[in-house]
Amino acid sequence: MRGEEETNQAIERYGDTVRRLCMIHLKNEADTQDIFQTVFLKYLLHDRPFESREHEKAWFIRVTLNACKDLLKSFFRSRTVPLEELTNKAADLTDEAREVLNAVLALPQKERDVVYLHYYEGYTAPEISRLLGKNVNTIYTNLARARERLKELLGGEVHG
Amino acid sequence: MDERLKQAFDQIHAEEGVKAETQAYLNRARARSRSPKRYLAMVAACLVFLLVGLGGYQFYFTPTTILSIDINPSVELGVNRFDQVVSVQAYNQDGQELADSLELKFLDYQTALERLLASQSVAGRLAQGELLSITVVGEDKDQSSRVLAGAQACTAGQENVQCCHGDMEVLEEAHHAGLSMGKYQAFLELQALDPTITTDDVAGLTMRQIRDWIAALESGGTAEEQESQTGGSGGRGHAGNGHGHHYGWGGYE
Repeated sequence: MRGEEETNQAIERYGDTVRRLCMIHLKNEADTQDIFQTVFLKYLLHDRPFESREHEKAWFIRVTLNACKDLLKSFFRSRTVPLEELTNKAADLTDEAREVLNAVLALPQKERDVVYLHYYEGYTAPEISRLLGKNVNTIYTNLARARERLKELLGGEVHG
Repeated sequence: MDERLKQAFDQIHAEEGVKAETQAYLNRARARSRSPKRYLAMVAACLVFLLVGLGGYQFYFTPTTILSIDINPSVELGVNRFDQVVSVQAYNQDGQELADSLELKFLDYQTALERLLASQSVAGRLAQGELLSITVVGEDKDQSSRVLAGAQACTAGQENVQCCHGDMEVLEEAHHAGLSMGKYQAFLELQALDPTITTDDVAGLTMRQIRDWIAALESGGTAEEQESQTGGSGGRGHAGNGHGHHYGWGGYE
């Protein structure tokens, strides 16, 4: 079991990543809190050391995505608010950011993951395929489709 | 576009409230798992469960009173504190056959006794004039008196049935000698009259034969003199030891 200092550091270091993944999957604050607790409790109980920071970060991404999927599968998600409302709630977003994020949220779920991991976290398609356990060609396809959709929605060039 | 996506995601941060609540949650989880209370409580609960189970088993399955039933089939019924038969122990071949043929366990002792008396092996022998001895041994005087009274009530309609109390120490000696209680008590009476008699001499005899033998010795005759009178009933003659006349057995109770 990890110590308090270690978990606090992890919350500081990976909290934003977990939060962003929650944002592209979940519909409300309560669910986000659930995911935080699930993910960091797993970290608390995860005794094996990580090979590197990258390894640790990838672990957090994978665990968070799985936790989100599990939550969405559960019966209670039907009572939650629609996805689009979330970004509106986040009052401190700029209009520009809100527009971009709404465009991302308009994508199918599998494309959202890929867009986030590629454009924000900087993972390459082969890295994403390993992280998500999917065929690398599927990732390329997802990326290409997402790029097209975003271009339509936001205008301008998306470089991949 | 890359830049726009980056900037947009950059504006998403984990709220301080969410982080604080998560930290508090982890601390609670840590405290819960570190505290030995839950573990101890679980172990204690298991232990109590086990002890209650074992205690209950002991309480129920420990015979507190022994009913020794002898004609020639010698059977001992162990009766627990709820007056139920919890063990059936045979002391000879006939007894074993009798015990096997009847399902006496977990019956009320009176029902068990009735079944025994009604069984072919016992009823047949009683009809032939054999003697049935029921000896009640128990540490709890109240229970053994109650069981004795119950046994007497059960056998009230029968002649040639004798019920009596026995002693715990004698019971142990009897078991040590490989005899059932009723037979061992009769053997003790016999031995008092003729110290040369051993338990082996009486092991194969029916209660009637032993009683007759006692009566013969009491009347002053020797075994040899009585020899010609015996051996007929059930063909259970015992080499070297004769058996006396029927003298009844008043006063034994």
